[in-house]
Amino acid sequence: MRRPPLRTLGRLAGRQPLGAAGAGIVVVLVLTAVFAPELAPHGAKDAAFSPYLPPSAAFPLGTDHLGRDMLSRVIWGARLSLWVGLVSVLVGVTLGGLWGVVTAYVGGVADSASQRVVDTLMALPPIILALSLMAALGQSVNNVIIALAVLLTPTAARTLRSLVLSIRESPYIEAARAVGCPHWRVIALHVLPNTLATYIVLVTVNISYAIVVEASLSFLGLGAPPDEPSWGAMLTAGTQALESAPWMFLFPGLAISVTVFGLNLLGDAIRDLTDPRLRGGLG
Amino acid sequence: MTGRYVARRLLLFAPTLLSASILIFVLLRLVPGDIAEILVYQTGSESSAVQEKQIRQLRAELGLDRPVVVQYVAWLGAAFRADFGQSYSQKRPVIEILKERVPRSLELALLTILIAMLWAVPLGVVSAVRQNTWIDYVVRVLSISGLSLPIFFTGVLILYLLVRLFGWLPPLEFVSFTVSPWENLKQLIWPALAQAYYISAPITRLTRSQLLEVIRQDYVRTARAKGLGERAIVYRHALSNSLLPVVTFVGWWGGRLLGGIVIVEIIFSVPGMGSALASAVSQRDYPAVQAMVFVMALVFLTLNLLVDLLYAWLDPRIKYA
Repeated sequence: MRRPPLRTLGRLAGRQPLGAAGAGIVVVLVLTAVFAPELAPHGAKDAAFSPYLPPSAAFPLGTDHLGRDMLSRVIWGARLSLWVGLVSVLVGVTLGGLWGVVTAYVGGVADSASQRVVDTLMALPPIILALSLMAALGQSVNNVIIALAVLLTPTAARTLRSLVLSIRESPYIEAARAVGCPHWRVIALHVLPNTLATYIVLVTVNISYAIVVEASLSFLGLGAPPDEPSWGAMLTAGTQALESAPWMFLFPGLAISVTVFGLNLLGDAIRDLTDPRLRGGLG
Repeated sequence: MTGRYVARRLLLFAPTLLSASILIFVLLRLVPGDIAEILVYQTGSESSAVQEKQIRQLRAELGLDRPVVVQYVAWLGAAFRADFGQSYSQKRPVIEILKERVPRSLELALLTILIAMLWAVPLGVVSAVRQNTWIDYVVRVLSISGLSLPIFFTGVLILYLLVRLFGWLPPLEFVSFTVSPWENLKQLIWPALAQAYYISAPITRLTRSQLLEVIRQDYVRTARAKGLGERAIVYRHALSNSLLPVVTFVGWWGGRLLGGIVIVEIIFSVPGMGSALASAVSQRDYPAVQAMVFVMALVFLTLNLLVDLLYAWLDPRIKYA
């Protein structure tokens, strides 16, 4: 029986109140990012005001050391964070996932060889790998995306590989092969759809992680170029003016915390919903 | 089979470390402009002809004019003798920097894990035993918010409060534990607390979910049936069985801590491995970066190996997939 989608959504929210709260935060965040040009009173890089102004009616979040409006920078920062987080995760998890799926399906030497590559990429603590990549690539927003994608690829490859190893042995795969399905068709029509739930969980769980790593890199001065409105870089600048201008670290810090909190709640809920052991039946 | 698993796991260690070292080496060779150029342009105000000559000289001196493969083999050979070359920014052998910095970071990591375990495990237990009560909800929201507060925000926040309320300032000189345990702890306790708050969230969550799972097992029902008190059931029967994944998780997380330590050390001015790496990267001191990242990979892989072996030893059901 089909229910109207709104009622299903309402039921879902009732079952997962924390997840619904997370979804609410994420919606606000996405809207902020999309409508940043309309919402922000000033440009992110306009250094046209007095530096270190405390919060006031004209500048609700104060101004920074270069006289830029903090509110505008925090709003533009939402756009940067979300863009970097979303693109890097989509690229990293998709490429890594496909890599894991194909090598696991093929098996044999291809599989073991690819697992050694995964081992190598996972041999470094994640932040250190990102840091080394940024040192090699140079600072730019696109390079941050590349570094994050590389960071996420091995995890996605490993997770989907182990999933496909068990899918590969299923009777329906054997049946598909028996009726003469070519391998590419088996992968596209029978293997990939069964990895979709895991793929979605990997994407949602990792967006907040990618946003944190982006901010960490910017905090270390190795992320996006310094004039870009990255929350991490704003925090660094705020740390240098800790006593005189606490609003400089407080607001970007809050922005990133609320963002990650919302994404984590949503990711948790999605994981619960897609885990058949925890699923209570959605009707 | 445990024996085969252990053997495979051990066999993979050296090749992985080797390929990781190649990865680091190649990555740092991709940097636009080699070390010789950077060094000369940093110092030089001479004419470009003189600089050209200096660059060629330096390249020959550092062996940068040789093929990359030859350079790598030379580097690896030296690394085996614990010779990681000379740091340009600090003007001393990299191995000296490592000897000085690594123990400090390890101490900080250890302290962090200790503090995190001390409050995270009991919280997880309370949350599981009182499942779906207000205590459970408070603990769950606290721990998920702990996961959401990035270390560079909580760290700066703690630093701000310390400075504002207590007039505390990060010490200028690092005092080692052997010189004065008290002074040493006073320096490391705040960065450790900041990081412990962050990592305690997953520990609490894991303890809670594991305990909830174990509490529903048959042997717990048996314990109840024979009339054991709730306390004895939780602590003697359930907890010891649910802590296994927690312990291995902490070991695994300890490796990842090496990355987070870069940030904490910078915020609290701890002169450890992480802050050394960050400054080496920003000063383009590539021999130092290469050695430090290599050592981190070594520690990380060793920790992962130990965790896997521990797990296989503790849980005989495990086998290599």
